[in-house]
Amino acid sequence: MAARMPVATERPAEYLPAGKARQKLEFRSGNEAAALAATHIDFHLMGYFPITPSTEVAENLSKMQADGLHEIVMVAGDGEHGAAGISYGAALGGGRVLNATSSQGLLYSLEQLPVQAGTRVPMVLDIAARAVSGPLDIRGDHSDIYYALNAGWVVLCARDPQAVYDMNFAAVRIGEHADVQLPVIVVYDGFITSHQKRRIQVFDDPKAVRDFLGTRPDYPSPLDTEHPATFGPYMNDPDLINNKVQLSQAMEAARRVIPEVFAELAALTGRDYAVLDAYGMEDAEAAVVLLNSSAETAKEAVDKLRAAGRKAGVLSPNVLRPFPDAEFRDALRGVKAATVGDRADSYGANGGNLSLEVRAALQVDPANATKVLSRIYGLGGKDFYTADAEKFLGDALEAAASGRVKVPFAYHGATPGKPGHGAKPGLAAIRPEDVSLGMAKVTPNASTGRLEVELQPLWKMTAMPMRIAPGHGACPGCGAFPTFHQVFNALEGDIVVLFQTGCAMVVTTGYPSTAHRINYIHNLFQNGAATLSGLVEMYHERVRRGEIPPSKDITFVMISGDGGMDIGMGPAIGAANRNHRMMILEYDNQGYMNTGAQLSYSTPIGHRTSTSEVGATAPGKRYHHKDTAQIFAACHLPFVFTASEGYPEDLMRKVAKAQWYAKNEGLVYGKILSYCPLNWRTADDSAEPVLQAAIDSCFFPLYEVEHGRTTLTYDPEASGRRIPVADWLRLMGKTRHLAKPENATLMAGVQAETDRRWARIRAMHEHPLL
Amino acid sequence: MKDDVRLPGEVHSFEVRLESIGGLGAHAAGQVLASAAVLRMGLNGAHFSSYGSEKKGSPVRSFVRLVPGERPIRTSAPVEAPDVIVVFHATLLRNPATFAGLRKDGTFVYNAPKGVVPEQLVALPRTARVVRVDALGISVEEKSRPNAALLGTLCGLFPFLRADDVLAALTEEFAGKHPEAVAANERAFRRGAAELEIVEGPGRAEGDLPIASSEPAWGYETQPVGGILPNPGNTAWNDLSASRAGSIPVLRTEKCIHCGVCDLVCPDFCLVWADGEPGGTFERQLMGVDYRYCKGCLRCVESCPTGALVKEPETPGLADRLRVPLFPELIA
Repeated sequence: MAARMPVATERPAEYLPAGKARQKLEFRSGNEAAALAATHIDFHLMGYFPITPSTEVAENLSKMQADGLHEIVMVAGDGEHGAAGISYGAALGGGRVLNATSSQGLLYSLEQLPVQAGTRVPMVLDIAARAVSGPLDIRGDHSDIYYALNAGWVVLCARDPQAVYDMNFAAVRIGEHADVQLPVIVVYDGFITSHQKRRIQVFDDPKAVRDFLGTRPDYPSPLDTEHPATFGPYMNDPDLINNKVQLSQAMEAARRVIPEVFAELAALTGRDYAVLDAYGMEDAEAAVVLLNSSAETAKEAVDKLRAAGRKAGVLSPNVLRPFPDAEFRDALRGVKAATVGDRADSYGANGGNLSLEVRAALQVDPANATKVLSRIYGLGGKDFYTADAEKFLGDALEAAASGRVKVPFAYHGATPGKPGHGAKPGLAAIRPEDVSLGMAKVTPNASTGRLEVELQPLWKMTAMPMRIAPGHGACPGCGAFPTFHQVFNALEGDIVVLFQTGCAMVVTTGYPSTAHRINYIHNLFQNGAATLSGLVEMYHERVRRGEIPPSKDITFVMISGDGGMDIGMGPAIGAANRNHRMMILEYDNQGYMNTGAQLSYSTPIGHRTSTSEVGATAPGKRYHHKDTAQIFAACHLPFVFTASEGYPEDLMRKVAKAQWYAKNEGLVYGKILSYCPLNWRTADDSAEPVLQAAIDSCFFPLYEVEHGRTTLTYDPEASGRRIPVADWLRLMGKTRHLAKPENATLMAGVQAETDRRWARIRAMHEHPLL
Repeated sequence: MKDDVRLPGEVHSFEVRLESIGGLGAHAAGQVLASAAVLRMGLNGAHFSSYGSEKKGSPVRSFVRLVPGERPIRTSAPVEAPDVIVVFHATLLRNPATFAGLRKDGTFVYNAPKGVVPEQLVALPRTARVVRVDALGISVEEKSRPNAALLGTLCGLFPFLRADDVLAALTEEFAGKHPEAVAANERAFRRGAAELEIVEGPGRAEGDLPIASSEPAWGYETQPVGGILPNPGNTAWNDLSASRAGSIPVLRTEKCIHCGVCDLVCPDFCLVWADGEPGGTFERQLMGVDYRYCKGCLRCVESCPTGALVKEPETPGLADRLRVPLFPELIA
């Protein structure tokens, strides 16, 4: 441990602002850099939907907005498809628009992308690239962005947070260029770049970049009522091909415009980006070609090899669309062998898209003799170390020396596994008779037309084997699991569950472990109801065909968070309208808690979430919560209910009825208020008082709608326990700000809306026709 | 402006790995340290944490990589061979990966009360510097968090990390969100530096410790096709003890009326029930808690109508002594 004294060093040119705009150092992640750039660009609007790992862009903007640092209109979509639609509509309106997404979010919005390119509506889409499901993987690779390569969008790559910042400005200018007029994607590596903080330079004064950006040119817009036009006509042959020629020409124009914009930006910032980044390539005999962050890692490997006298270099495109084919031909002309690494496969093509396109670029050059090795690496967030880059370069050097490619295509870094090794064994299967103990006996009452339930005492229920094993990874105090415990106590026999994406799904099924002791399915975030309805119908059809004995009496239960009931509302309503024999149970913890507490439509007004931050200019969420139970009641289902884990007996009675209806009549929906100490900002052990107050304040009425007849199962008013909503809201950190005098009007509004909704439910309870 | 800082000795980079549990503030500590180095000391740096879903109580690794100001940082991979490992929670010492890659001249900081030298420290290099600090005790006394004390400890051990710069970054981190915490954090920070103890010679390993090589349970030749998991309920093998934050529920059997209310509020399904004695008062009886799964939320204590479940500080060994196994035939 020598030299502990601070010693002055010369400030290196590497981080001295060399451009003409004044800049300052900051320490930012890729997502923060994207958000900061957005405020400097001063987008008119951002349409978005939370998805890891891009969510932080909207979160950071929400926080900055709460602090009065920008005025971008932030619109949370009902899903990425909606977010892309919001963004498209807004961009048609003539202002500057931003969206940010990842993975499934990109795929869910994918069909909007070619429309936006074909109708020539510029905007910026930041993509924190992430693996595509199935099975679900939240970490970084490039399998999402490869799906967007045919969408007609310009695609800029950002290898580190500094590039994320810079490329967002370039994206605006390139997309809006008169010869281009295309939407632009800026793609950076999920987590690796989106979440890693680095030293970056940012404009001291955003005015400097506003001059660079200018104002958005006027394209035809439906907001220009003096020049009526039809946006998005019906166009078959012979016309569509001509629209695509124009799109192709715009891409070619982008090829010319991009270097011009990069040069202009470089004059401002001192940071120059080549279309194709080349390192150590001057006399290289072997090269590695990689996209984004791993290319930087590979430079370390090149330094090591160069120090050992090996002629190796690294190439990485800063622009993926238009593809820099000419630049690749030039750079690889003298290179004997190159390993192209793809962080996503194009299954069956013996190479990922980068590899295939590099090969295609070289193929048209008769002078080129580069041997290309294709490697798939880093899938699902698998880290890429310098040693991995050394291996790629080593393979290329060997091919360069021998003139032969031993292995043209391979996966790098996969594990074969060892015979006899594997995950821990499971617990014994639960037999239907083990869980048919009559804990909740259901009897139809012919005179009332309702079901009656007789519950066993709680102590007796302790004999019910749990269908979820302990050892799951939920937060301490989580309310979802007491909810499931109560639900499963009331359900008899064989159950098949489907969980939509959310906390409960993530914390119970982290591979190679599962907490589920019964058959469990996870599909996409939004598509659970459709999926389960398909399974239900297959079950009944196979029973009808005699392939499954009718004695196998399976109940089908979908579990979703309130987030899943936003993005999945369409499929859920579809399943409800088809009235499949299944249950949809929603544990409502008032936000997207798995991804860091973003607002859901079930988040009540004024509540603090990471996308409805509280600050000098923002008092939390700006609109009232969705009344999901009433939406399903309007589907005229046999049974709809609300419940809370704070009222276990009430909950279990309703779930027992739900099972009866789901077996005998059709679809049942239940909304269950469920505690989230982490994001409600409450103590782990305060579930009971907080839930009690939510219910006693009449914010969350406990009722059931049986064949259209509404019955309150607990009436705080009649029992003299009703409290003002303020008495509930002051119990939670996420709503404590509402008690401040400056929020008095908002608080009065919360009370008024609660009163109004409560009065309606009460009227429905009192009047059989309502 | 102050002078820039130079890294100690001949090292080209200074790499720190913080080993923690979600909620103890390791991510924030790493961020404070790295931002102080970059924005206040003239170094170049990177900071990031291992990623999972956004929940409390799961293991977290936070990485800080510092290099001289004139050098770029290119690699974004996790720190494999750290100069310093800081362990925020003693439970993590049970996992050998906690020690992985420590350099033979590296520094190892662990959070434990005075006099505690866990036997697992034998895995450390003989030549490593081993440091104990009671960050939890300090943070409880000062109403701060362990991360403030441990940052102080790091600055105490590495004077090139200028304490006033790190403290300023720490203050900035909290000034906006939790202004009330600033003074408490400063006290904890200073005590973390003042009360660190060099523990002599617990390590027995020679040379640098090997880099962690974690191999998945199944590979492509053995993984069940389609990603299905044919092992129902095998999370039962998990040990969640590290999720607890200092307290456990303890059953006073004599007060228990075995009503079953606790069972319905426990998120972790860790209460153990059995049939009562034939002819006895209770048909079903609460036998106790399987602390392997208990995350210490204390919802059972809050719900207990008779005060039979009580909150007690988790002294070393207490949970192991009182544990009633839920699957005794499988996991004793």
